[in-house]
Amino acid sequence: MRRNPPIAGELEAIQRAQAGDGEAFEKLYAMHKRRVYSLCLRMVSNVAEAEDLAQEAFLQLYRKIGTFRGDSAFSTWMHRLTVNVVLMHLRKKGLPQVSLEETLDPSQGDGPRKDIGTRDLNLSGSLDRVGLERAVGELPPGYRLVFVLHDVEGFEHNEIAGMMGCSIGNSKSQLHKARMRLRDLLKSGQMTAKDGAK
Amino acid sequence: MSQQDMKNISADCAEFQEQLPELIGENQDPAAHPHLEHCANCSELVRDLLYIAQQAKLLLPLHDPSPAVWEKIEAGMGKDPKQK
Repeated sequence: MRRNPPIAGELEAIQRAQAGDGEAFEKLYAMHKRRVYSLCLRMVSNVAEAEDLAQEAFLQLYRKIGTFRGDSAFSTWMHRLTVNVVLMHLRKKGLPQVSLEETLDPSQGDGPRKDIGTRDLNLSGSLDRVGLERAVGELPPGYRLVFVLHDVEGFEHNEIAGMMGCSIGNSKSQLHKARMRLRDLLKSGQMTAKDGAK
Repeated sequence: MSQQDMKNISADCAEFQEQLPELIGENQDPAAHPHLEHCANCSELVRDLLYIAQQAKLLLPLHDPSPAVWEKIEAGMGKDPKQK
């Protein structure tokens, strides 16, 4: 099931906002603020920074809304603006954990890790929202962004590739690596909890 | 199990896992892949990855930005918020 259906009243609000109607723009803000802000918050893990980024994304939307032609869903277009704002911000900060280029470019020797080992803890039935949220926060930014856009927000790989300026294959590869890393993080968390309970 | 058997399984696993991003990315059912009929390790891997993807839906956005964000946007749009 598609998770980004059109929102009732959105098209009319877009058309009115394109004609300069401030109230219509406020409606668009109300429709999209939660998803835009949540994406920013997941990427920077800081409320003040996330609010600044959401503000910048909506100001860019205000300046550029006249150029929206409906070639893609509005939410996809809005997220593309937001992703650009977030990426610019992360690049300015110098990405303390892992360089975004490294995690966005599969040619950098960062191929999919293989899991050819012994069986250990099974994740099924053991995950809660808090644990998963924490693990997502530990992902490198490039992995986190693709994971949030695809698995949380429900965008398709072709939409994500358009937002991030990468190939569809790259988007799939990044998502796979993100899930593999999450699996490792979640299993190591399970092991720690198990050891602690002994 | 002989060392040769172990090597063959590892090679099969590596080949299967090379295909996995594409298998999952295309919304195919990787659980139906023939390799999984005899590989408990890769079966568990696929089960975990699909479970993570399924559980990710729990993380839908829950928080709104503070009202100050709209006030700043409105100011940036060249409006006086008090005129509303």
